[in-house]
Amino acid sequence: MHIVNNRRRVNAVFLFFFAFLLFCIARLSLIQFFRADYFAKIAQKQHNLFVELEPRRGAIYDLNLKPQAVNVSADSLYASPNGMADRDKDTAIKSLPSILNLDHSFLKDRLYRKKSFVWLARKISPSQKGAIEKLGIKGLGFLKESKRSYPNSYLASHIVGFCGLDNVGLEGIELRYDKYLKGSQGWSLILRDARQKRLDLEQKMALPVDGYDVVLTIDEVIQYIAERELEKAFKAYRAFAASIIVMDPRTGAILAMVNRPTFDLNQYNNIDKDRRRNRSVSDLFEPGSVFKIVTASAALEEKKVVEQDKFFCENGAYKVGGHILHDHRPHGWLTFREVIEQSSNIGTAKVAQVLGPEIIYKYVKSFGFGAKSGIDLPGEISGMAKEPRFWSKTTMSAIPMGQEVGVTALQLASAISVIANGGQLMKPHIVKEIRDKQGETIKSFSPVSVRRVISEDTANRVKKILTGVVETGTGRMAKIPGFTAGGKTGTAQKLEPNGAYSHRKFIASFIGFAPAEEPLIAIVVTLDEPRPYYFGGVVAAPVFKNVAADVLRYLKNKNPVNEVLASNESQRTD
Amino acid sequence: MKLPKFMLLVASVTCLCLLYVCQQTEIFRLAYVGQKRSILLRDSLDKNTMLRYNINKNTSLVLLNDRITASNFEMPDSYRVVKVPGVSQGTAADHRSSSLKSLAASVFGIKRQAEARTIDRR
Repeated sequence: MHIVNNRRRVNAVFLFFFAFLLFCIARLSLIQFFRADYFAKIAQKQHNLFVELEPRRGAIYDLNLKPQAVNVSADSLYASPNGMADRDKDTAIKSLPSILNLDHSFLKDRLYRKKSFVWLARKISPSQKGAIEKLGIKGLGFLKESKRSYPNSYLASHIVGFCGLDNVGLEGIELRYDKYLKGSQGWSLILRDARQKRLDLEQKMALPVDGYDVVLTIDEVIQYIAERELEKAFKAYRAFAASIIVMDPRTGAILAMVNRPTFDLNQYNNIDKDRRRNRSVSDLFEPGSVFKIVTASAALEEKKVVEQDKFFCENGAYKVGGHILHDHRPHGWLTFREVIEQSSNIGTAKVAQVLGPEIIYKYVKSFGFGAKSGIDLPGEISGMAKEPRFWSKTTMSAIPMGQEVGVTALQLASAISVIANGGQLMKPHIVKEIRDKQGETIKSFSPVSVRRVISEDTANRVKKILTGVVETGTGRMAKIPGFTAGGKTGTAQKLEPNGAYSHRKFIASFIGFAPAEEPLIAIVVTLDEPRPYYFGGVVAAPVFKNVAADVLRYLKNKNPVNEVLASNESQRTD
Repeated sequence: MKLPKFMLLVASVTCLCLLYVCQQTEIFRLAYVGQKRSILLRDSLDKNTMLRYNINKNTSLVLLNDRITASNFEMPDSYRVVKVPGVSQGTAADHRSSSLKSLAASVFGIKRQAEARTIDRR
């Protein structure tokens, strides 16, 4: 009886284990054949980590390959609120605001979110990182990110532009050439160990493609000279704004472009939008007498006048279309050449009457006014040039002397380059080439001639007249010791809100080129509302003189050095 | 299959498995070592970039201008610059003056001052 009972018990145990075995087999089969994908995915999530690989953003260089925008790695602070003790959170909320200049409420909001990852501060300084590390708060960590930095702070700030926190271009070249600079992101699937730490053993990987470098036509030295001289004038005359452009008239390459007020590229966040605007391409103004170069060129090209033709300048007052036109100084009989040299409004109006509206409009458009120049900078405007059918009775005398027409400083630079280079309108450009990491040229930008505006002969004749402006006319303060130069002064009245011309607010300007015989540079200087002096010949012409003198000396010394280097190089290769 | 053969098979399979495990462990160990070195390398590269950036920043014309302005440094005008003749011109001028001195010395019996000469010790 006892044995039978034992056998039953053994059978029962056996049956129990057999049933359990069957259950296990069934369960394993279920897992293996029906839920394998689901569990494999969970395992993959636990073991693998998907990481986005940031590409290196391309650098921006000047003409001589001096860096203007580079990448520097910076630490960003993050927190893991889910894994943080409340005590650590409170310590962080108390201590971090003084180090990072953050708000207590901001930190409280971030740290009490039910998330495993939140950013607390992006791209902080090494000293801030050190101070946070000293606190030893658990649950805080740092990630390396690439930060855009600008070694020349405010030099060429309106051209170079800047990037946002995520390295996306927001202004200037950074914005315009973002597609070349940014590169393309890569990714990597890497292993994580049991402590969830990264182990750099890649499962799968797609390498990031670094951005290309952009080489500008801007020369850092010329840019600096222009910045320095404009800053002096901007401060001395307490101007509202100011701009200067230095251009190579033969190619249309911009060598320097400066605007005031300006800003530090490394601290663009705290600057108002007005300071960030590139006024050289985005601000419209009536040019005043500098526009007389268009009238003079049209008159000579159309053979309607010659330099010796005489015009009576009505002793300073002349009634046209119900308005009385004045000269800044009364003149009697003046030759055409003297009309431009002495900047007589009455004489210019009489020249314009000889030409007629259609011819004047044709040359205004031909010189590139009223249309975008196509420069590779964002924010360019087209300006304003009315068609003759919209002209009033006064327009006929206003446009030839630079009123009732809206231009940008860049358009003026292109126009004076036409005279300087023998009659060709060149497309202004600011990027020389795009290079890859190895220095190979990916794309280069060669000079583009838009159209021939005037003949070479006319250009040379206008050039001689403009040289006279500097030698004996209104632009005497632009005379450069040791070099010849040509140019035209301009003093334009600004419009008051009621539409009338102001007698207190002026735009002083000077456009010119040097050396006069074979111009290497064309320069435009404009100062908005300078005081107490406001004449272009007094305020803007000296800026031209100082910039042109230093730039010409620099170019004269720079080229022989390059020639010597080139000859040494060729000797070595031979 | 006979037992010894079976045991041999089991032993060799076990050895292979152990080798595989050992190899995998070594891979992971090396990965950790490599990771440490790569972090060091990345930090060094970052420092290098930072130093280059600082050099660029310190030699930037903007900063130099600020420093020069602050220190009241004045560039000398052209008349204050001393012009030094080139080496060949300088040597020729020296020869001319020394030959004149020799002539004067021989005519008037004036002793020339001692001149430093390089000594060839060979």
